Amino acid sequence: MDFKHYLQVLKDNTPYDFSNYSDNSIKRRLQKVILDNGLTIDELLDKTQTDKGFVERLVEDITVNTTELFRDPEIWPQFYEKLYPALKGKKTFNIWHAGCSSGMEVYSNMIILNELGLLEQARIFATDISLGMVRQCTNGSYRYEFNKKQLSDFEDIIKKSPIQGISKIDFNKYFDFDLENDRINIKDFLKKKVEIRQHDLVQEKVPFYNKFDVIFCRNVLIYFNANLQSKIYQMFHNQLYPKGSMILGNHESLTGFYKTKFSKNGPLYTKTNVFHFKYQ
Amino acid sequence: MVRPKYKAVVIGGSAGSFSVVSKLLSQLREDFPLPVIICLHRLKHVRSGLVESIRLKSKLEVIEPNDKEQIMAGKVYLAPSNYHMFVEYDGTFSLSTEKPLNHSRPSIDHTLTSAAYVYRNKLIGIVLTGANKDGAKGMKDIADKKGLTIIQDPKTCEMDTMPKSVARLIKPDKVLSPDEISTFLNQLAI
Ligand SMILES: C[S@@+](CC[C@H](N)C(=O)[O-])C[C@H]1O[C@@H](n2cnc3c(N)ncnc32)[C@H](O)[C@@H]1O
Repeated sequence: MDFKHYLQVLKDNTPYDFSNYSDNSIKRRLQKVILDNGLTIDELLDKTQTDKGFVERLVEDITVNTTELFRDPEIWPQFYEKLYPALKGKKTFNIWHAGCSSGMEVYSNMIILNELGLLEQARIFATDISLGMVRQCTNGSYRYEFNKKQLSDFEDIIKKSPIQGISKIDFNKYFDFDLENDRINIKDFLKKKVEIRQHDLVQEKVPFYNKFDVIFCRNVLIYFNANLQSKIYQMFHNQLYPKGSMILGNHESLTGFYKTKFSKNGPLYTKTNVFHFKYQ
Repeated sequence: MVRPKYKAVVIGGSAGSFSVVSKLLSQLREDFPLPVIICLHRLKHVRSGLVESIRLKSKLEVIEPNDKEQIMAGKVYLAPSNYHMFVEYDGTFSLSTEKPLNHSRPSIDHTLTSAAYVYRNKLIGIVLTGANKDGAKGMKDIADKKGLTIIQDPKTCEMDTMPKSVARLIKPDKVLSPDEISTFLNQLAI
């Protein structure tokens, strides 16, 4: 089957448009869905046009949802070396996790904010295209065995490079550990604080009215082609306050035109004002 | 210098391959004319340091590429830890964190197969020492596209499972020791 043709059918009949995802990966993901479901091409086309539940599951299956608590542990001290001075004086500030997956990045960040005494001022927003992920993010319940190494890696990192003086975190403040059932459950006070919504970055509409001080979008845009990436950078640029920052994944970087709209600030991309540019 | 017949070299390796790759890069000519795309398995708990150690001896620049980075001749690209690395048709890399293949991320099969589709008969694929069968399917794809396939001579391997599982799927064009691999590659550059 010509996968481009299929993506067109999907686009014409559902809210989802994957036609500007990276060819290699979307093609492979689609092939896998077809194989796993044991569908013929006609059945696939038919289900796509008539079965809403199928389409939601398809979106879950073709997107990549890998995430970890404190993913890339060594990067968090670097984030906060730059973010802390910018956030600490503010009465309130807004953070958006775009492509939040099951929420691990969201809660990891909130834990650090709380340790730094910044959680109260923070307004936290999280979005993902996948309904399944939105649900998991809302539930905030993860497998223990699978995640304990991440927690201990993170502990090792901050012992060596403290985050603004924080070198130790008591995770019992944030998690209920239910080892019998292999669960880590996020405490309610964190869960209640996040506004979680299903939102597709590909659609031009923005999910919230307010602007942002920080936008996390790590390991999401790597699945998009360069054209679509540019559109999203533009959208983030519009949604950031002046001097707001965008955080990309460890192996993502801005190229071409957008290099001039953000300045690289350690691991952050900080919005530069056109105004400043003119008079420098 | 005559225009080389090939456009890229892609190398996969696992247990024991670090020293082989390190030596190979110390032996490759400074003016090596092709991109060298490398995917090595890493121990899960050693997340950083690999690229730094490989750089020490290499005459060519060694890069852990970012997503959408342009692939350039004469540079060495190492799949970053915890990402699959793919070659795209427009001559860039794309990265992904989809689930491990053959228990590995990065997976050698993913890198080799994507390179096979892009470079076809202009690709040299090399599988080195290793204790699993990642890379075998990728080498078959390279062979199917009429690329050149090389395995490290099992006699010279710390772990010979990986090159042997390639040899079970296809008949490699060449079976070479590490020194012979660098000699062969260098002579492409003359
Ligand atoms: C690999 S996860 C990254 C999660 C987290 N940011 C991290 O780095 O650990 C990518 C997430 O992006 C979401 N995603 C993919 N396409 C999207 C889109 N068009 N709009 C919003 N989210 C999307 C996927 O559903 C998935 O949960």
